[in-house]
Amino acid sequence: MDKQTAFLRTIRHCLGLPAEGERSKESFPALFATADRSGILRAIRTRNTEEQDELLRLFLTNADALGIRTHVVASQEAVADLIVNLAVTKTPEFTPAKHIIHHDHPHLNALQLRNRLDIEGITVHTSRGDDRQMREKTIASFIGITVPDMGVADSATLIQLTKPGCSRSISLVPSIHIAVLKKEHVVADLREAYALLQEQPHLDSMVFITGPSKTADIEAQMVHGAHGPREVHVLIY
Amino acid sequence: MSASGPPTYRSVAAEGIASPRLQKSLHGLQQRFGKGAMELWATMADQGLRRRVKAARMNTFAHLDIVLAELAKNVRARGGQVHFAASAADAIEYTLGVAQKKAVKRVVKGKSMTSMEINVDAALEEAGIEVVETDLGEYIIQLAGDKPSHIIAPCIHLDRQQIGELFTEKLGIDYSNDPPTLTMAARKALREKMLGADMGLTGCNLACAETGQISLVSNEGNIRMATTMPPVVVALMGMERVVATLDDHREALQLLTRGAALQKLSTYVSFLGGPSSAGDPDGPKEFHLVIIDNGRSKILADPEFREVLACIRCGACLNICPVYGKIGGHAYMSPYCGPIGAVVTPLLDGINKHADLCKGETLCGACKDICPVENDLPRMLAALRHTLAYGSERWQVRQHNRAEAWGYKVWLLLVGNPVLYRWALRVGRFCQKPFVGKNRLISKLAGLASGWTNERDLPPIAGQTFHERWTTNRADHRSGAKRDPREGS
Repeated sequence: MDKQTAFLRTIRHCLGLPAEGERSKESFPALFATADRSGILRAIRTRNTEEQDELLRLFLTNADALGIRTHVVASQEAVADLIVNLAVTKTPEFTPAKHIIHHDHPHLNALQLRNRLDIEGITVHTSRGDDRQMREKTIASFIGITVPDMGVADSATLIQLTKPGCSRSISLVPSIHIAVLKKEHVVADLREAYALLQEQPHLDSMVFITGPSKTADIEAQMVHGAHGPREVHVLIY
Repeated sequence: MSASGPPTYRSVAAEGIASPRLQKSLHGLQQRFGKGAMELWATMADQGLRRRVKAARMNTFAHLDIVLAELAKNVRARGGQVHFAASAADAIEYTLGVAQKKAVKRVVKGKSMTSMEINVDAALEEAGIEVVETDLGEYIIQLAGDKPSHIIAPCIHLDRQQIGELFTEKLGIDYSNDPPTLTMAARKALREKMLGADMGLTGCNLACAETGQISLVSNEGNIRMATTMPPVVVALMGMERVVATLDDHREALQLLTRGAALQKLSTYVSFLGGPSSAGDPDGPKEFHLVIIDNGRSKILADPEFREVLACIRCGACLNICPVYGKIGGHAYMSPYCGPIGAVVTPLLDGINKHADLCKGETLCGACKDICPVENDLPRMLAALRHTLAYGSERWQVRQHNRAEAWGYKVWLLLVGNPVLYRWALRVGRFCQKPFVGKNRLISKLAGLASGWTNERDLPPIAGQTFHERWTTNRADHRSGAKRDPREGS
């Protein structure tokens, strides 16, 4: 703590304050005050189907411009069909064998992917906190499937909180990222998204994902697939 | 030019201006991103955003001791370790200590200008640790043994042929000048490096004190890799890179990604505040946050320059500056180039040492117009020139050019005394004779004054001053009026 004390003392000195005598945040209630978000939250909760559909349309338009492939489907079965189709038709980038991995999430577990892909010779892994081979399985997988907590229409962003069973690397290490998003989890913009995040009791690690990994470092030419997934599919139902 | 003596601002700038490749890249960059950002600010629905973010940044600085203490407390509550480093040496010692304690053999870096500022790579490499840059542009720079020349486009000065040849030599791939092919080659090589790294070393775009997290933006995904796959993560942050609340974070983030690359959001914005929690399938086992002063508190203390700490390092000012647009980033000889570099480099690393930077900028004001937080860089450039002209005890600046200062003293004496002034003009008229060329301009002066004519011609002192002509003409006019009584009748 010594270095911290000295460091903060220097700051106080530089601000023209008495160096001794720590200042406490309680004396400055405005500093960490948060704007009232009840109006925003109410708007999200009372949104009708029409408004929700409009947000979805906006999400799809913005996603398209960013090279995200979107698929709006009617049912859980259709989600499973699409994933199976992608897993069968796409070619792995780094390994000859086909492995895919998904978050340990009820929406995904309900798809019965293991049963359906077994007969195709594709190995399906589920992300689990107690599995010591998680890392190897993720690296071996060419498709990673996640369930984002939110979609943001204004920027076509997926917001993924890290939770037990919902690892960070599934949306990062495999070449293809498939996100399965519920229509009602699409919010309008970052203001709404942050308002919902602020409702979380304890924010841990999280990531905003807006499109496939990309770079324009060589002569400003855009190339998808720098280090993260080169393809992002969003399945919305 | 650079053949004689070490490279200087002048010599490297001259090289940049002489390179058609660099001129083409810089022009393209400024056309697209500079103009784009100006248009974005003009058409943005929320016209108060920039002013609000600036006000919030300045308010945070006025309470920086409280905000940093809160950040440290919340990161620690999450199991992260926080180290306050007063100097570069302190930050290096800590980072190296972590690496050695964990017997780290390879460090993968996410793009971090702070790491370049403190030069931590050299210390790690000296200790036998492999250091790999993972941002594609930075990786290319590292392979070439070169230095970055733009904040978000580090290898803008290299073209696809050079990068193709570099990859053939260093990565052993068949020659190609196709950007997708080259990117895929780097993707493969770096994937191995990242998956096999023992430590990730990153910077920090914006830390949020309220939640106890740092956040990092990237388009490539390298920073996510560097903060997810290695067992140990060390993040280096300048002490000003903090916001108090998530509300502040949202607003600053929106300016950062727009200013940097006209994006509503970069591909990835990742938040991290500690080691992975119990039950998390992946993530680092250890997280260290190093909060660095290294000269920033001195800037904080000076009301003249405090504003520059509000910079969010988007690089927008590089994309519009007419000087950067010609000379490129290398001439600034600092991890921070362009107009922001011309202000912050001297303040962090010595105003006398970097005297050329503030003098090289034009004070045209474009950097202020484009700055997402409306930093008045031209004002601060002028203030830096003031410290150089008159010296400054606070900044330990010695008068930059004594001869020039002496010259102005003489000038002051002359313009305050008409008799002396007229006498000096007559002397000047006489002395300038051998220097006036056929075009009736002075192209070359002697001695100390030669600096004035190196890059320009001067008009000679006129044969008659306005005052002298006025006196003569009026005398003529009066006597003429007497000679012709009909006039005015």
